Amino acid sequence: MVNLPRAAATSAAREIERHRHAPVRIDIEELGKSYGNFAALENVSLTVKPGELLALLGPSGSGKTTLLRAIAGLTATEQGTIRFDGEDATVLSLRDRRVGFVFQQYALFRHMTVFDNVAFGLRVRPREERPRAGEIARRVRRLLELVQLDGLEKRFPSQISGGQRQRVALARALAIEPRVLLLDEPFGALDAKVRKELRSWLRELHTETGLTTVFVTHDQEEALELADRVVIMRAGQVEQVGTPSEIYDEPATPFVCEFLGGVARFEVTAKDGEADVLGSAFPLEGDSDYCGPALAYVRAHELEIVARERAEGVPAVIRAVRPFGPTVTVELSVEGRQSRIEAEVPRELYSSGELGIGQGVFIRATAARIYAAN
Amino acid sequence: MSANLPAQEAAHIAPRPFFRTPVTEAPLIKFTLIAIGLAFIVAMIFLPLAAVFFEAFRRGAEPFFAALVEPDALSAIRLTLFVAAISVPANLAFGLVASWAIAKFEFKGKSFLITLIDLPFSVSPVISGLVYILLFGSYGFIGPWLIAHGYQIVFAVPGIVLATIFVTFPFVARQLIPLMEQQGKGDEEAALSLGATGLQTFFRVTLPNIKWALLYGVLLCNARAMGEFGAVSVVSGHIRGKTNTMPLHVEILYNEYNFVAAFAVASLLAFLALVTLVLKSVLEWRYSGELAASSRH
Repeated sequence: MVNLPRAAATSAAREIERHRHAPVRIDIEELGKSYGNFAALENVSLTVKPGELLALLGPSGSGKTTLLRAIAGLTATEQGTIRFDGEDATVLSLRDRRVGFVFQQYALFRHMTVFDNVAFGLRVRPREERPRAGEIARRVRRLLELVQLDGLEKRFPSQISGGQRQRVALARALAIEPRVLLLDEPFGALDAKVRKELRSWLRELHTETGLTTVFVTHDQEEALELADRVVIMRAGQVEQVGTPSEIYDEPATPFVCEFLGGVARFEVTAKDGEADVLGSAFPLEGDSDYCGPALAYVRAHELEIVARERAEGVPAVIRAVRPFGPTVTVELSVEGRQSRIEAEVPRELYSSGELGIGQGVFIRATAARIYAAN
Repeated sequence: MSANLPAQEAAHIAPRPFFRTPVTEAPLIKFTLIAIGLAFIVAMIFLPLAAVFFEAFRRGAEPFFAALVEPDALSAIRLTLFVAAISVPANLAFGLVASWAIAKFEFKGKSFLITLIDLPFSVSPVISGLVYILLFGSYGFIGPWLIAHGYQIVFAVPGIVLATIFVTFPFVARQLIPLMEQQGKGDEEAALSLGATGLQTFFRVTLPNIKWALLYGVLLCNARAMGEFGAVSVVSGHIRGKTNTMPLHVEILYNEYNFVAAFAVASLLAFLALVTLVLKSVLEWRYSGELAASSRH
């Protein structure tokens, strides 16, 4: 694991380059799928740009895995179409779709060695398309080099680590020269450290292969860090599509705001498109003359703890201080509010000894996103 | 070590209290329990089995082998092998299909099907035989029609085969269903997405994943197919040299006070059972390793 990342800018990468086709564009139109009364996908329309690394992000049950499996052809859909470069993929067999799919639990063939696992997709080709044994061996070696697993050919899946299995699964999916690469929770089963390493490695691998890649995750940090664009899903529908900075800076709905996390939610009343949050007025998103109940979200670093003397904002009491990381997290309770508010403040404030537990302070918001509640 | 210590120093060391892990018994209780278990097995299982072989060889090897090569005995052995040769592959095929359907698909009536597969285990073998007489006997539902057209089912070989298939129905499926359910369909999906055809997926992925359990199921199925007495006895008609299987032949010989011959044939059956047991243990040993490996996976 030590010097793993660095997705080989070597002959292996050139090998992939040689077999590379122009990246595929995926058009999904009005896709629908239900299990009994439960709508797993509802009217999902989405375009994956050629060569893009796209994340499907959402809580469990939001339909992100169903969508990924539908693109792969593993799950049949009832409505809508999926096109690869304009060609209707829903009528193609799994073999003809040529999709590289990396399963959440990898689904490596346990009775086959690493080599045989990677070679599988080549060996099951019809005779006229099947490369000769020597050519298969050469390609498998190249792929194992690409995923930094050369030397492990003869091991069985049970004899290698989780991170290594993940990369075998990836090499196996790449062996069939897929038109698109799909990954289901690629880092879900790994521990935190391996996860981080594999993340940047996958990003580099994507650059090397240039494949249109879609991955599913429930980890917002992973999606925002890794993807070119992020699709946020909720209850079988697309909630927002955008680049990580668009999603982060302009969350379209309260759901996106809450799902990204690290926010405090306030129920406020808007008047003429404005609402008061912790003593300051902020404009509503969208509708500018809205009057009525609204939801306001303030991120932890957008909260400011002000010294008592200046008497701005609203009074609060410090309940807990978590002094690790680049900033210090402070838990505060505000009168008339049940849940505590978390604020991230500069370390200096902590070092200067102003953050005692039980101490009364004033807090105010420097920014807030406000949505009409309905 | 303590022997080297000066006397007064040794006195300071308190005698270590006897320690054992909480979930264990005193040695005496442990010994007693093992002894009881062992005595029971010897009395109930080993002695009767030994008696079979002892009786078979009581007059020496010659009468023993004579009893085995006698025409009626040979015919019984042949019939038993023939019945097993049909019913085991039939139930192998059925067991594979049923467990595939149950483990890999969701459909209505699935739990009912599982219960149905277990039926031959819960029903008395006599009833298993009687149902075929009810169906195919000369006073049965379709028996008269079949007999009129020249098909004799009961009191003939087809009836014996049918009854044996019925009784040994669950063995293969019972072995495979839990394993296949545990393995899920991930491997198959992976194979298909890599471009394998249905047949390639079955032979290269599914079958290797279940081969030990399958073999184990076939062995148990075979042991029972050869040893089945009750159901076969009802439908066979006990025609010597024609519809007698080995277990039925043993009974007839015994009823005729031909003990040596009875026990000779019985010892052959017991020997087959022992071979099955040994194979089963070998497989279990192999198969448990494989299971452990796959759960580590």
